[in-house]
Amino acid sequence: MIKVKNRIRRLRFDHDEMTQEKLANLAGCTRQTIIALEQGKYVPSITLAFKIARAFGLTLEDVFQYEETT
Amino acid sequence: MAPLQKRALYSLGIGVVLAIALIMVFILKGVTTFDEDLGFRLIVYALWVGVPLAYLIIVNLTLRKPEQIDERDRLIMAKAPRVQYLSVLFSLVAWTIALTELYWDKGQVPVIYLTLIMISALIISTISQSAGILIGYWRMGRND
Repeated sequence: MIKVKNRIRRLRFDHDEMTQEKLANLAGCTRQTIIALEQGKYVPSITLAFKIARAFGLTLEDVFQYEETT
Repeated sequence: MAPLQKRALYSLGIGVVLAIALIMVFILKGVTTFDEDLGFRLIVYALWVGVPLAYLIIVNLTLRKPEQIDERDRLIMAKAPRVQYLSVLFSLVAWTIALTELYWDKGQVPVIYLTLIMISALIISTISQSAGILIGYWRMGRND
C-alpha cells in the first residue's frame, strides 16, 4: 500500500498559525481541499503539491512524505 | 461542504422533487391523457425542461467561477458520468422489461411511451449527475 503523508497542519501552525483559507488562496485551491489534505483524505497533484510547498517556502519533501507499507 | 458539493445537493433535491411531481401528474391524470390534453402536455413539458434547467443554473454557474472549484472538484466531476450512464442504462432496462410484460399480449406499445422514455432518460441523467458528484465527495471523504 502506498501512502502520501503531509505536514500541512503542523506547518500552518509554524507559519504564524496561517489559516486554511490563506493557504488555499496561496496554493490556488479551495479551503475544503486543504481540509481534505490535512485529514489525509486526498492526495494532491504534483502541481498543487509544489504550490503548497512554495506557499511555506519549503521543498516538496519537506511537506509531503512518500511511504510504502505492506 | 465544498461549493460544488452544495450545488449538487440543491440540484439533486430540486431534480427529485420535479421528477416526483412528473410521476404524480402521470399517475393522477393517466398516461393516455398526454395524447388528448394540451394543458397536461404543457405541464409535462415544463417539468421536463425544469430539471435540466435547474441543473444547468445551479451546477454550471459554479463551474464558471474558477475560485470555487479546484483539481479535487474537477476529479470528482470527471468521475460522475459513471453513475450517470449506469443509471440511464438501468432505467432503459426497467422500461424494456416493464413495457414488454405489460403489453406482451397486445403485441404493440402505445407511442406515448417513446416520449416518456426520452423524458425519463433525460431527467435520470440530470439527477444522477448530481448524485455522482455527491457520491464522489462521499467516497473521497472515507478514503483514509
